[in-house]
Amino acid sequence: MLKLRFHGRGGQGAKVASRITGTAAFLEGCHVQDFPLYGAERRGAPISAFTRISRGTIMERGVIPNPDITIVMDQTLLSDPQAEPLAGLKKNGVVFINTPDSPAQVKDEYNIDAQVVTLDITNIGLDMLGSPIISTLAGAVASRIVGIGEESLKNAVEKELSKIITDQKLIAKNIEAAIYCFRTLELLKIKTIQTTQRQDSVIRMPFEPAKISTPSINTTASSLLKRTGNWRLFKPFWDHDVCTKCMICVTRCPEGCISLNEQGFPVADYEHCKGCMICAEECPKKGIKAVRESGSDSVEVMGT
Amino acid sequence: MKKEMLTGNTAAAWGVRLAEIDYIPAFPITPQTEIIETLSGWISEGAMDARFVTMDSEHSMVAAAGAASATGVRVFTATSSQGLMYGFEMLYTVAGWRVPLVMINVSRGLSSPITLGPDHNDILAARDSGFLQIHCENCQEVLDSVLMAYRLAEDERVLLPVFVNLDGFYLSFTREPVEIPDMDEVRRFLPSYKPEHAFFNANRPMAQGVAVLGGAYYSYFKYQMHLASQKALDVYKEICRDFEKEFGRKYDAIEEYRLEDAEYVLIMTNSFSTMGKAAVNRARDQGIKAGLLRLRLLRPFPEEDIRNAIREKKSVGVIDQNISVGKGGILYSEVAGCLYNEKQRPFLISFIGGLGGKDISPQEFEFIFGQLIKGAGAEKVESPHLLYTQEEWEEMQKLKEIAGKE
Repeated sequence: MLKLRFHGRGGQGAKVASRITGTAAFLEGCHVQDFPLYGAERRGAPISAFTRISRGTIMERGVIPNPDITIVMDQTLLSDPQAEPLAGLKKNGVVFINTPDSPAQVKDEYNIDAQVVTLDITNIGLDMLGSPIISTLAGAVASRIVGIGEESLKNAVEKELSKIITDQKLIAKNIEAAIYCFRTLELLKIKTIQTTQRQDSVIRMPFEPAKISTPSINTTASSLLKRTGNWRLFKPFWDHDVCTKCMICVTRCPEGCISLNEQGFPVADYEHCKGCMICAEECPKKGIKAVRESGSDSVEVMGT
Repeated sequence: MKKEMLTGNTAAAWGVRLAEIDYIPAFPITPQTEIIETLSGWISEGAMDARFVTMDSEHSMVAAAGAASATGVRVFTATSSQGLMYGFEMLYTVAGWRVPLVMINVSRGLSSPITLGPDHNDILAARDSGFLQIHCENCQEVLDSVLMAYRLAEDERVLLPVFVNLDGFYLSFTREPVEIPDMDEVRRFLPSYKPEHAFFNANRPMAQGVAVLGGAYYSYFKYQMHLASQKALDVYKEICRDFEKEFGRKYDAIEEYRLEDAEYVLIMTNSFSTMGKAAVNRARDQGIKAGLLRLRLLRPFPEEDIRNAIREKKSVGVIDQNISVGKGGILYSEVAGCLYNEKQRPFLISFIGGLGGKDISPQEFEFIFGQLIKGAGAEKVESPHLLYTQEEWEEMQKLKEIAGKE
């Protein structure tokens, strides 16, 4: 059995990626299980999805703590303590990371033992599909790593996308982009070994008074501690030559992240700005640019 | 101390008045309305210093009660039947907040068909919510239970909300003499609420009942509620001892009536137990060694007390004034469950009686004792056996004729 875990941000398509991989394997005649796991749905929040592929009956359910293959659809998740995409990865497993960096760079930077595969599928998505929604691309990458045939992947993308979109042209473009990613990656050899059970014992839970055992949080400033700035793909950047200080961006920001500097120009709290770009959309002067963030480099991709 | 003729509802209101409540979110529903009316009257006269707010529904009412309780004030509210159902979603929520509010439920049958008579499907539906449950037999017990309920709910070892249950009509509108304790006696037994537990404060931001994504976290909080509820059994017994010292009336998790040498036992709850006790007396007059066990506390379920009380009896009839459709009596299952691992255990028979306030006649009690005496040697007993008389059946036929049923 092969166990895959997908990590993405809400809206990127981790769930669809896991379903595409699942369907592709199903079309190859395998037994498959796939399911997503998320909390209160928020665009940008870390989510995960799971796929099990087997030639025999699958006698497992639920989350996969020890995946053979981990698909990381957003590099920023690697430093998100809530996401922990590398947790439980097997020593001889495979981890795919969506990044422009080389496998060697990533291996070194994040101290990864497993085999690393990289491809900048966000850029491929932006180039070929015009948006950073990368479900089919991640599905294609995962299918390639699993060793699924190209025809099954193609059919799976079509089948899964037809359930969520009706635009045939967009589906065709997705198939094209998926096949591109599929062919770009080299075929890997994956060794699967039986998961060793974690050594853990069953305890008897002690009584704790309500003071301790009530689901309350007494520590303050929790939203300040949780920096959501790393959810961003694009960063708003103000052109103060164009800005008329109308403050529409300030009022429209759903996160209350925009304030005014001493000169009265808007500035963002980048530690919490999730990069929804509603400010840019709403700016009457089109004076806010979306700057692509990718690792340490910021690349401007959208002009005024 | 003074003694007056009080209905179950006004006895409840007296309990609340003596407990010096701070806040009452209210929504009226028959047969509970009189509790709320009485309290609102006292507040408007200035006899009680509490904030009274009429809400738009029971759902809001329970939410308001829980939120107010979380600020550290003493809160009371009351409902009945369909009203309890409407507030149901919030029961689990506020119990999870571990807030010590006290809520009265005046039991009434659940629609449909609609009725105003009592049975306990309403309150028993809430048995798994985390609220503790005290069930009353008479009007005095209603008043006393309200006072005890606050002590129980507010105890730092417990901190769970408490239901006090009384039967519609059989207690709610039934007057009988009730001792009303003096304020200073009550204050000795039940001092004002001083929470050590974290509570809402405008100057100190906090979150209560937060989201926990993950079964292990969720299990911890839920199981801690269970442990607190179990702990409440000992705490409750302490409270009973204190109550007896102060007021002279003795309560426990269960009540044993002529049980000492009894061989045939009825298990009952609430106001119908009075009729059960009368049936025990009649059976004793005929030389039958009859007894009755009344369950006063249903959550936590006093398993050990029940086992000790009936372990060596010949046979026991559980009379459920409720029906779990497709299964039978709820208490029967619970009692049977707690006896399963006993080597020596009585023969147990399930009876459903008093549904929607249907009377249980002396003949029906005789029938029950007949079945209990036949006991294990008897032919297979219909389970559960619905208590229903020939006369009632004939009445029902007439009604069907009127309704045009062939």
